[in-house]
Amino acid sequence: MIPTTACLFLSAMLFFLGMLGFLLRKNALVVFMSVELMLNAANLAFIAFARMHGGVIGTTGHVSAFFVIAVAAAEAGVGLAIIIALFRTRRTLDVDEVRALKH
Amino acid sequence: MEKLFPEYPFPIQNIESGLWLIIALPLLGAFINGVFGKALGRKNVHWVACASVGGSFLLSLLVMWALGKAQPEIPGPLAYALSADYGTWFAVGDFKVNFGLFADRLSATMLLVITGVGFLIHLYSTSYMEHDKGYAKYFSFLNLFVAMMLTLVLADSLVLLFVGWEGVGLCSYLLIGFWYDDEAKAWAGRKAFITNRIGDFGFLVASFLLVLLMAASVKEAPRGTPVSNPRFSASLAEKGPLAFQSLSTLASTLATPDISAAKLKAAKPDHKPALLMERDIQTGPLKGFSYSGVLTVVLLFFLLGAAGKSAQLPLYVWLPDAMAGPTPVSALIHAATMVTAGVYLFCRISYLVVLSPFAMATIAVVGCLTALIAALIAFAQDDIKKILAYSTVSQLGFMFMGIGCGLFWAAFLHVVTHAFFKACMFLGAGSVMHGNGDETDIKRLGGLRKEMPWTSWTFLIGTLAITGIVPLSGFFSKDAILFGLETQQLAGYTPVLHTLYILGLIAAACTAFYMVRLYVLTFEGKRSPLAKLPHAHESAWPMTLPLVILATLSIAAIVYGVPFLSVPNAPNQTLIEFYLAPVFNASNQANQLGMKAHMLLPGEFGGETPWNLLWTGWIKAWLIAVVCGGISCFLYLKVWRGGRKFPAILEPLRRFAHNKFFVDELYELLLINRTKGLAKGLYRYVDAFFVDRVAVHGTAQTVGFFGRVLRWFQNGNVQAYASAIALALAVGLTYALLQVLS
Amino acid sequence: MNASSPLLNYVIFLPMAFALLVLLLPGNEKGQIRFIALLGMLVNLLTGIWAFVAFNPSGPEFQLEYRLFWLSDLGLSYHLGVDGLAIALVLLTAFLGPLLVLSSWRFVNERVKEFHVCLLVLQTAMMGALCALDIMLFYIFFEAMLIPMYFLIGVFGSEERQKAALKFFLYTLAGSLLMLVALLCLFFLSGPEGARSFDYASIYNGLLEANREVGLCMQNSASCSNLSATAATLLKWGPWMFGAFALAFAIKIPMFPVHTWLPDAHVQAPVAGSMVLAGVLLKMGTFGFWRYAMPLFPAQAWAFQNLLVALSLVGIVYGALMCLAQKDIKKLIAYSSVSHMGFCMLGMLTFQKEGTMGAAYQMLNHGISTSALFLLFGMLYERRHLRGVADYGGIAKAMPIFTVFFLIISFSSIAVPGTNGFVGEFLVLLGTFRSNLPLWAGILATTGVIFGAAYMLWVVQRVFFGPVTHPANTTLKDVNFREFVTVLPLVLLVFVMGLKPQPILEVLSPSVERYIARVHQARPNAEGQTLPPQRENASLRMYVRTLPSKKTESAHMGHAQAEALGPLLANNPAGERL
Repeated sequence: MIPTTACLFLSAMLFFLGMLGFLLRKNALVVFMSVELMLNAANLAFIAFARMHGGVIGTTGHVSAFFVIAVAAAEAGVGLAIIIALFRTRRTLDVDEVRALKH
Repeated sequence: MEKLFPEYPFPIQNIESGLWLIIALPLLGAFINGVFGKALGRKNVHWVACASVGGSFLLSLLVMWALGKAQPEIPGPLAYALSADYGTWFAVGDFKVNFGLFADRLSATMLLVITGVGFLIHLYSTSYMEHDKGYAKYFSFLNLFVAMMLTLVLADSLVLLFVGWEGVGLCSYLLIGFWYDDEAKAWAGRKAFITNRIGDFGFLVASFLLVLLMAASVKEAPRGTPVSNPRFSASLAEKGPLAFQSLSTLASTLATPDISAAKLKAAKPDHKPALLMERDIQTGPLKGFSYSGVLTVVLLFFLLGAAGKSAQLPLYVWLPDAMAGPTPVSALIHAATMVTAGVYLFCRISYLVVLSPFAMATIAVVGCLTALIAALIAFAQDDIKKILAYSTVSQLGFMFMGIGCGLFWAAFLHVVTHAFFKACMFLGAGSVMHGNGDETDIKRLGGLRKEMPWTSWTFLIGTLAITGIVPLSGFFSKDAILFGLETQQLAGYTPVLHTLYILGLIAAACTAFYMVRLYVLTFEGKRSPLAKLPHAHESAWPMTLPLVILATLSIAAIVYGVPFLSVPNAPNQTLIEFYLAPVFNASNQANQLGMKAHMLLPGEFGGETPWNLLWTGWIKAWLIAVVCGGISCFLYLKVWRGGRKFPAILEPLRRFAHNKFFVDELYELLLINRTKGLAKGLYRYVDAFFVDRVAVHGTAQTVGFFGRVLRWFQNGNVQAYASAIALALAVGLTYALLQVLS
Repeated sequence: MNASSPLLNYVIFLPMAFALLVLLLPGNEKGQIRFIALLGMLVNLLTGIWAFVAFNPSGPEFQLEYRLFWLSDLGLSYHLGVDGLAIALVLLTAFLGPLLVLSSWRFVNERVKEFHVCLLVLQTAMMGALCALDIMLFYIFFEAMLIPMYFLIGVFGSEERQKAALKFFLYTLAGSLLMLVALLCLFFLSGPEGARSFDYASIYNGLLEANREVGLCMQNSASCSNLSATAATLLKWGPWMFGAFALAFAIKIPMFPVHTWLPDAHVQAPVAGSMVLAGVLLKMGTFGFWRYAMPLFPAQAWAFQNLLVALSLVGIVYGALMCLAQKDIKKLIAYSSVSHMGFCMLGMLTFQKEGTMGAAYQMLNHGISTSALFLLFGMLYERRHLRGVADYGGIAKAMPIFTVFFLIISFSSIAVPGTNGFVGEFLVLLGTFRSNLPLWAGILATTGVIFGAAYMLWVVQRVFFGPVTHPANTTLKDVNFREFVTVLPLVLLVFVMGLKPQPILEVLSPSVERYIARVHQARPNAEGQTLPPQRENASLRMYVRTLPSKKTESAHMGHAQAEALGPLLANNPAGERL
């Protein structure tokens, strides 16, 4: 059986990759995908712990994972819509160009 | 009068409770004329005005009758007095002020002067102000003034007196600035009010200190003194600490010998017994000061108040400017009544005054200096009203000298006689202006004796009265004061009085000189070629009648001042002294107990009148008056009218005096401009710059600055935000790890 | 003991109800709106008079009480009640109400609806702040006053209105937020956990013993060793809490260094805004000192007495000097307010009967004469739309009746005897002399008498007298009937209050006694006081209604019962040992 530590290590790697992608990539779409990656890393950690604990407590982990997936789906819907709207108005997806949050 | 009316026309109680009517009548007149004046029409306006003052005059006569019957069975200051109390005005804690009126012989005499002279001046004004647009307004103000002056005189407490005190100042303000379109006239009114306010400041402080003094003495006085009497506590609770009744008890307490101290010093029999007032105050806010010290300070503050109202140094400057008002106003307010309020005040609280020789000496010195300075300024004035104004200031100085040497009756006699002759002269001046197209420069008048006979004769009588020529009242009242200065003893300050006597004589000499100059230039000689009108015309009867009556009164008033008209049972006293004796009884008692100001009444030279002193004094004064008047007459009638130029050496001096010694300019420079500059500077630098710009806006701008700095971090780059989050997370994690590991 | 009466609810919320009514009207029906607003104010005046008449000056002090459950989990209750000072100020507020509407009859022509809604809501907020007996309720009303006032200045003001409104708002808010912190501290001081409350009476009574101990300790450090927990907290944090209260109220008054919002606000505000600002809003500061800052922290009040007196004295003289330097008439009147309110504060700080009474009376006087000055100047402004002193001159000729009114009010403002100003100022000055303050303080304050005359007469002179300098001033119309009716009550009141002050002084008297007794509690050996030290004075504690129990409505409380009753009770002995 794959040890929990390994799963957690994989989750951490995925999260780190996602974070790097989020911080460094300039294309909004890729940034968005990096967020998804981080969410999935979290899911992986949930599942790993759920398997480790098993029983009633474990189900909480599964539920959480489903919950995250649901949130991620909603986020994808909204996020992609924003990105499309952004592209339509600005004709670019470079996050350095899009600074609507400034000041 | 008792012979005329052996029975009272009314029961005394009715007169007593009806005292308020004396004030209410002119007040009602003021109200009617003020509110409905336009609707009433001129005729009715002066009917209302004259009738209300005339009514008050009749009521005052009734009061006089009521007072004529002695009521010696009532002890204390209420003897020979009517009083009425109309309830509380305001009361807080143990402080209380009542609407209480009080008429003793002093106030009754003042009542007659105010309403009598007031009525004559109202009558005069009907003709003088005939063509003025603000006819109703004028009479409304004038009535209001009379009401306020009557309040001042009838008040039975210092606070109510202050109502009248401020009230007359207010009316004076309104009447000086009556022709307000002329900016200078309106400014003169304002100057008068503010100068008076400086005096009122003194009055208020003095009253507050008296309250403290009263509280301290009630708390600390030993048993057996008047203030520890339970009857006094009751009356204090009923009338309040500032009622005159309470104050006279305070005075007699303070003048009580201090028994405990006397016992200590019994070993030295020659030592004067110490008085209660020399003790130190043990409790309250005045702790550590002595009673007598505080009392002196109180009197000095009252002196400031009186100096404001009665135009003494250093606050006299408003009175000459006050001549901007209509001339009858100058006669009523600025000669006969209001300006004597300070003298009245000191007569009212004479029992306190006599307890402080230092304050008395100061009053006398202030009075004397004022008399001298005003007389010197009057030398070089050319405006008929200005000269009269300065002579008023000067005469008021004489009255203050009278107060200062403790001869209250003499000061008060001078108030009365001065009211007659000065009102007569002011009204005469008004008549001159009326008949000469409002010309006031005496160098452009002259030769009016033939054209205005009534005016000139009455004016001459007034001039002789103020100069001090024997058969006229002014001589006796002024000389009583000078005699007092020569003979009175004031513990520690007698030499001061003697010096003042000399200065007083000089002032009297000056008076004679400039008054004769005024008369001669105006009425004698030839008509000046510079005159506005070719011929003057004599005024109508409503103007000349008051002149004649006042001139008659200024002669007739001598009966009050001549010491040979001995009163039965009181040899060698003047009539006024005898008449006012009950009023100054309290002060005489306090004086005898305190032995501060040793008053030498004529009867006290070993039971004999000092005839030799009296005679020499009279002859001196008479000689001075005649000689100076004669010189003046000669100079102005023969020498300078004759075409001779004014000597060039004296020219700068003349100019100096003509410009009133530059006192106004000095005040302007030292006080007014300083205050204005301070105000402007404070506003510009402290308020607008420091408080508002630096402190208030500074705070706002500092906050704004930090906002701007912090805004820099919010660059809108989501990735930058996320980096910050990641970095913070990393730091947090590292910290947590380190904590766990160690 | 104290009967419950819903009367104050009507006093507070009737204007609000009329505001709703005005909201329902269409915005272009200006006449109707004005009429309804005037009606609302008149009805409010009637209820105000009714409350004043129902108030028994010799009865127990807090009257017309009304108490309901309201957010009791947070320690709040809806508790109303008035003492002498509050009922007098309620009457003043109600009295000014109709005049506010009348004075703006022609002045405001845009957004008439919003304007009158603001006025009515402001009326509710002011009444609420005066009547609240729960500190948080007071705070809510106190803050609620800012909002309509902000709009009155910011929307209906003159050219720089926005800046002035913002300054006014932020300035007062800054102070009152600090006060909020102090309020919360009071909540935690008011009792052990579970029994804490914002009820004024319970805090008031709860702090009594602690204040006495703190007072003893501050005079004599030997007695500091065995302080109760509450007293120890109060000793340590009292200065900060008092400071927060004092700052909030000092800004509102306004006292010397925090006064600069006032001239700006007054200059920019419309007539009604200036009137209500000078008439009632400033009184909230002195009222706050009187009701909250001083009685709750008497020991600190003594400690800060010298500082506050110095600021008041500076305020009196400095305010008057500022007046001398002004060119703008409204600004001048505003600075004269600083000077007059300095007298109010000075009187209150004498901690002595005459002075305190004078201060209370001076609050009413200032409300009348200064708002009358603003009202009168507003009439002039309506005609010429100029504020500078130099823009006028000689208008007595064109407007004689107006001049008479202005003169009367000016003389009231400079305290000529016979007008209301004299009684207040005289008592304040007398109190200052009789208090423990040094004599020069009294003398310095008395110089205000001179300066007052100097600036007020300067304005009168420049505006009304002298030759007419501007041709436009020759054709000015004198007051019309509406204006006459608006000013006349104020002018009459000037004389009535000047000549017959005693009835009002009697209404104020019990609250003065309470104030002094309470303040002297923290200074057992103070000199110059009128109360014997340490005397268990009936006015040291407050006896108020308890909350009606959920079933019966009649839980009246007597003195003896006070300590036995429930947790929200006034005096909880447990509260002293936190």
